[in-house]
Amino acid sequence: MALRLLTIAAAGLAPALAALALAIAAPAQPSADEVMAKAHLAMFYPGEDLRARVTMRLISRNGGERVRELTMTRRDLRDGGEQRYFIYFHRPPDVRDMTFLVWKYPGRDDDRWLYVPALKLVRRIAANDKRSSFAGSDFSYEDVSGREPEEDAHKLVREERVGERAAYVIESVPKDPASVDFSRKLSWIDTATWLPLKEEYYDRRGELSRVFTAEELKEVQGFWTVVKRVVKNVQTGHRTEAVLDGVRYDQKLAPDLFGERALRAPPAQLVR
Amino acid sequence: MKRAAWPLLLAVLGGEAESEAVETIPFHGFVQGASAYRLVQPERCPHTQRLACEEEFVLGEGRVRLELEPRGERWSLTAKGELIWDAVAGEVEGELREGYLDLQFPALDLRVGRQIVTWGVGDLIFINDVYPKDWVAFISGLPLEYLKKGSDAMSATGHWRGTSAQLVLIPRFEADTLPEAGGRLRFHDPMAGIEARRTDEPSPSLDLLETGLRVFRNVAGWDLSLYAYRGFFRAPAAEVEPGPQLRFFFPPLNVYGASAQGAALGGVLSFEAGYYDSRADRSGRNPGVENSSFRFLTGYQREIVADLTASGQYHVQVMQNHDEFLRTRGPGMARRPAVRHVVTLRLTRLLWHQTLRLGVFALASPNEGDWYAGPEARYQVTDALSTTLGMNVFGGPRRSEFGQFEANSNVFAVVRYAF
Repeated sequence: MALRLLTIAAAGLAPALAALALAIAAPAQPSADEVMAKAHLAMFYPGEDLRARVTMRLISRNGGERVRELTMTRRDLRDGGEQRYFIYFHRPPDVRDMTFLVWKYPGRDDDRWLYVPALKLVRRIAANDKRSSFAGSDFSYEDVSGREPEEDAHKLVREERVGERAAYVIESVPKDPASVDFSRKLSWIDTATWLPLKEEYYDRRGELSRVFTAEELKEVQGFWTVVKRVVKNVQTGHRTEAVLDGVRYDQKLAPDLFGERALRAPPAQLVR
Repeated sequence: MKRAAWPLLLAVLGGEAESEAVETIPFHGFVQGASAYRLVQPERCPHTQRLACEEEFVLGEGRVRLELEPRGERWSLTAKGELIWDAVAGEVEGELREGYLDLQFPALDLRVGRQIVTWGVGDLIFINDVYPKDWVAFISGLPLEYLKKGSDAMSATGHWRGTSAQLVLIPRFEADTLPEAGGRLRFHDPMAGIEARRTDEPSPSLDLLETGLRVFRNVAGWDLSLYAYRGFFRAPAAEVEPGPQLRFFFPPLNVYGASAQGAALGGVLSFEAGYYDSRADRSGRNPGVENSSFRFLTGYQREIVADLTASGQYHVQVMQNHDEFLRTRGPGMARRPAVRHVVTLRLTRLLWHQTLRLGVFALASPNEGDWYAGPEARYQVTDALSTTLGMNVFGGPRRSEFGQFEANSNVFAVVRYAF
């Protein structure tokens, strides 16, 4: 019995030793899956919770501009796992005072509620998070709350600089092509902060459709944060700029902020 | 977005933090013009509805809305008032749509004042939402928010370990606004010959206090609610008095119900049920008073492709003591079946970064043959300015629920500038 355990231990050790040897030979060359897993956590899961004021400018090809302003809060039940989002809309006037609640589950459809203050009505929303636009912007729901890395097959293509920053260039191909509008995606992941500095989405014909850029990074309470993110639909010329102000992490947001009570009566500090 | 500084009022109301006293009170509202033109002009109207034959417009108005919402850490005040200019009748009136004080305690929310209460999961089908509605606004093509009316009420909602309970007390009865004699809308009036009419409203007293209770909780992503209501029908019953004179009154009503809503089958599934206990006519022998009934609703909503959502509902209403209803039914009254079936369909398409919304809502009763269709296009010209063009079309037997409104079918336009 003891002998058998020893054999298993040795067998288990061998690949680890091999990996260690490789690591010494070629330092800090993580796998594409590791890069994307870290990027997912860095972008969508920093801190236990988050609060930020988001201003989205929707800019058309000919310069027409519409503004969406909201306060977003997020709470993680588990890193990389279940999350809850609560959003309060400040403007435009037709959505002012609306609140939006998302319970995000990895691996299955989110639960979503919208509160319409004029009708005092809590409505469940049946919107596909992979394609539907968030508040009319060029961001989909998935772009706001993150796409699970396991949904794509990743390949490390090269390393490349984006401005001053060194980045891993990762190619991702959806495992279920029918569920999304893109056929592949290139991501430039910062080697220092693990944040995506740039992403290119290619449509089903293989042509470039949307380009995301992190225009400004800022360190808040030790967490590197993309405080200005721009997405441009290169096929229509429409773009959306999202700017985050007043970012605060680990505010110990109460769990009951993410329920029907807050939908109907959002806490005062989120409304101002 | 304009903001007016009202530090004094806030300081008086708040009295809590000096830092707040320098803050501004959000000040909002809109200016709105709305008009609805009859698609078919009724040719013959009873004397009590002669305006329906005279007026080509069912709606022609302008309104200004002002909203003030000072807020503190644990309280807020909401006041939404309107000044309405009715161009068809040539009248101006003011209305306080909502005016209430909110107080928040750790496990309790209190709301006192004129407030809108919305219950249930139906889309334009109301079972447990027993609160007052303005059907004239709906038929006339005003935006959907005008379907709901405020109640002068006190609401207390307690929260305990994920379960919540809301108690609503309404000391002053508010009836539904329905087409009535002397108005612009055409409707089926079995007593059209009697012009002398009076309405007895339940007068304010503790005996007549309306009480609603809703207990709700989320279980595994499903929103579950139980409801109970003790109060009155909001549509009047009628009886003929010597004279003859028609007396309208609001018979007592209890409603017990439940609803569930959750994500399933790639969309959202809804269920709602209720029992209407017509306390003054449990035997069903009084033809003027609505019989007791069971009501069920099931609905499903799903996004078919990006920005195109479809939803459907099936609603059934089962009248109790139907044989008594048939036996005592008066002349001119609709011969209603024991079971009324209703199906609805809604399609909503969002275009141009959700600035253009095309939608249609259709409702029909396969067994009674009445129907309603409401196509609508809403374009957000700028963040502040929106325009809506749509139709309200009614059809079916002239004594049926929606068929009676056929001659009010209209095309409407609404322009709103919000600030």
